[in-house]
Amino acid sequence: MITNPKKGISAFISDCVRWSLSGGRGYKIYLLALLAVMGAGLVSYVKQFQEGLIITGMSDIVSWGLYISNFTFFVGVAAAAVMLIVPAYILKDKDLHEVVIIGECVAVGALIMCLMFITMDMGGPLKVWHMMPGIGLFNWPSSILTWDVLVLNGYLALNSLVPLYILYCNYHDREPVGWKYKPFVFLSILWAVSIHMTTAFLYQGLPARPFWNNPLLGPRFLASAFAAGPAVIMMVLIAIKQWSKYPVDIQIFFKIKRIIVVSAVINLLMLFSEIFKEFYTFTHHSLSAQYLFFGLDGHTSLVPWIWTAIGLNILGTLLFAFDPTKGNPRYLMVAAISLFTGIWIEKGFGLIIPGFIPSPMGEVVDYTPTANEIIITLGVLATGVLVVTLLIKPALAILIKFKEAKT
Amino acid sequence: MNSSGKKEDEMKVTDILEKKSTRRSFVKNLSIAAAAGSAGLVTGGCVSLGKSEEMGLKWEEYFKSNYRLMTQEEKDETVARLVRLAKIQNDADIQISNQEPRENVLYGYAFNISRCKGYMDCVEACVKENNLDRKAKTQYIRLFEMDSGQLDPTSGDGKYFHEVPVEGKFYMGVQCFHCENAPCIKACPTKATWREPDGIVVVDYDWCIGCRYCLAACPYWGRRFNWGEPEVPKEEMNTKQHYLGNRMRMKGVMEKCTFCVQRTRQGKLPACAEACPTGSRVFGNLLDPNSEIRYVLKNKKVFRFKEELGTDPKFWYFID
Amino acid sequence: MKKIFLSSGLLFLMLGTVFLSAQTVMASGGSVIDRIHAADKPFDSMGIESAHHLPVKTVLAQESYQGGTFKVLARKDSITRFRCSVCHTDKKVLVSDGALFTHGDIVINHGRGNDRLACIECHDEKNRDFLSDAEGKQIDFDHSYQLCGQCHFRQKRDWLGGAHGKREAYWAGERVVRNCTSCHSPHSPAFETKMPATYSLPLDK
Repeated sequence: MITNPKKGISAFISDCVRWSLSGGRGYKIYLLALLAVMGAGLVSYVKQFQEGLIITGMSDIVSWGLYISNFTFFVGVAAAAVMLIVPAYILKDKDLHEVVIIGECVAVGALIMCLMFITMDMGGPLKVWHMMPGIGLFNWPSSILTWDVLVLNGYLALNSLVPLYILYCNYHDREPVGWKYKPFVFLSILWAVSIHMTTAFLYQGLPARPFWNNPLLGPRFLASAFAAGPAVIMMVLIAIKQWSKYPVDIQIFFKIKRIIVVSAVINLLMLFSEIFKEFYTFTHHSLSAQYLFFGLDGHTSLVPWIWTAIGLNILGTLLFAFDPTKGNPRYLMVAAISLFTGIWIEKGFGLIIPGFIPSPMGEVVDYTPTANEIIITLGVLATGVLVVTLLIKPALAILIKFKEAKT
Repeated sequence: MNSSGKKEDEMKVTDILEKKSTRRSFVKNLSIAAAAGSAGLVTGGCVSLGKSEEMGLKWEEYFKSNYRLMTQEEKDETVARLVRLAKIQNDADIQISNQEPRENVLYGYAFNISRCKGYMDCVEACVKENNLDRKAKTQYIRLFEMDSGQLDPTSGDGKYFHEVPVEGKFYMGVQCFHCENAPCIKACPTKATWREPDGIVVVDYDWCIGCRYCLAACPYWGRRFNWGEPEVPKEEMNTKQHYLGNRMRMKGVMEKCTFCVQRTRQGKLPACAEACPTGSRVFGNLLDPNSEIRYVLKNKKVFRFKEELGTDPKFWYFID
Repeated sequence: MKKIFLSSGLLFLMLGTVFLSAQTVMASGGSVIDRIHAADKPFDSMGIESAHHLPVKTVLAQESYQGGTFKVLARKDSITRFRCSVCHTDKKVLVSDGALFTHGDIVINHGRGNDRLACIECHDEKNRDFLSDAEGKQIDFDHSYQLCGQCHFRQKRDWLGGAHGKREAYWAGERVVRNCTSCHSPHSPAFETKMPATYSLPLDK
């Protein structure tokens, strides 16, 4: 890295842009591939914008699909940054303090994906100003959706401004001043819990949908998020260890592994509790669960997915819990991917879609996303990955430089 | 009870007026910008006059406010723009009313499950009256063919198409129940859907952002979404429209049964009640002790669907 | 550590209070049933000017409902070849005109099983321009509810109140309801079996 003698905001920005774009040929190809996927997504979105949401697989019965499923899942991933912040700042864990910033970058990427998914799902994205306080009408506090808008944007601000401040100080070879940012760090801990609880309340507060109208939904959201989120962060850390000069201590992997195992076990316990409630005394309200796990009236489109998800969930948990390789990155990668995919399916498809089936009038309809919908979703995912990459690159560069300056 | 209601209304009015001043100037500035923009287009010379008028109208429409915040003057202006736009775009001559609710009226509905024969004349009349999308075959009303021994429409068959009535079956209609405590209203993030003083739950189509949270919140499946651009053949279009009722919707917004607000505020029965050949549909003013609906509630044993959810619907089922 | 838990607990408590108080403020309207019970003054539906002018002929009913007098749809105008007494006289009839005069097209499907009603159980035996009830009292065709109500007294009670039958066109304005014979054929009063007017889409895509 070339150190720049010039300082100030403009130098900071230009250096960050330079660092985020510089890299070998492999990196360039990686960026181009992401851009290509985003381009395809954009083309599909333009089509959706012109013709309406009719090009998706959603209907008046299953009125939320892939977009909202992914939104829900990535809110969890965003919230999971807290699982690094709590040990780093409250338990004063030195190892995890080193990688807290990576967790925050992942959170920012996840939040951007969330906001994009919401926009993709809207029928009138141009009318979004109707929701802005002041010029529009904001149905607060009655609508949980308005709460979600507030907490998501607030969390995005917290998670981008705190690391920005720290990095800005480090860039200028200064230690950040504690009282200037620590209150926001502690606030972000509460806030992380609130974004995920609020998103859960979005579903939990609807008596129309007995599958969601369940007090365990919020806590289970948190537990699964605190398993899946650190799994994502672990994947990112393995990639960093593999391809960058930034030192990632093996202890960090052990600690994240422990967090994942505890959360995953709690998640499985709650899942078991829900399954027991639904099937021990089968009521009218258990039809959605029946649809999800065993199929209903000959409609079985989710059955293979949910059992795959449960399989991957248990597999991932076991792989993390009994690690014979003692922190081999490849082994951990497999475990992280299987747990992540398991929770992604379980929480995405397995949570949102059965809520709509059967409909309030008892009708059973399958939902299959269309190619367009999948391409748009992939485009958003690619955007998220790109954002995370472009944030982490300069962040690591600044941290390395700062460490070198200190020693 | 009455006085507290009045106080609430007064508070709402001041609330609206306060908001009004800031948002009006905002809208005004924008429309000046719009005028400048469209003037630029005209002098550019590459856009025909009709096109630029259409663009200008659409531009002003885009920045208009929520229906509930508009003054009478603004309501009349937007109605005039919509009528003009229908003329330019489809060469259609329509009338859009913005008639206000009447005082001391609260609409209610009762459905006689022992009389309905499942003819579906109500469904057809509703589709025609409310300009429902013919392409997606949107319907507000659903009729369920029910087996004897059950009283929950979710156990019925909503897809029947054979000679009716079938021996041993009965029929049950569902639509929006215009709940007093409507979960959809609570859910809407932009206050694009609300309950009018006469009890009708309406949607401001131009204000709805299409998030479909209300659809998820409704326990009766009373709401429909325009997944694509709705289509109604011009010759079949009902030209007597209401701003909150059967005017043409656009893609990406919610719509729902409005108890035919364009008819009922003129004293007419909703299209479904008028079309019913069996007299199974009773409609009237709940605040009038002499009305038919009040007779039903007083003298018949009635029930409401999913009453345990506390939605307080204004739609009752009764048995002869 | 303890501080964090304390403050987080406080924050949630605060949010919860804000939320709950907002909810109670919004739910202060009172239920529909309360509003209905509170409304005991008759509503002046005559004030709705747009709810008058029916294009059909009506007559004042000879009975009243909870709101006073009301009208029913006239029947006599829709009977082809009314007045009946034009044909039903003592004059002799040609056999060749018999097909026209014997009402051969009318099938009576009124009454249970084999106990079908005979024509003169409803029609006045002497004056064919009238119906007549079981006590022999003449009843006008426009007021057939008086006749039908002899047996179908439950339906008549509901019809008077508004739970049976229906109003014509308007919920407001002067009350105009359909006559029994507006919906039921008097000779075969049960509703027929037929195909529904339309159908609902299977919602599967």
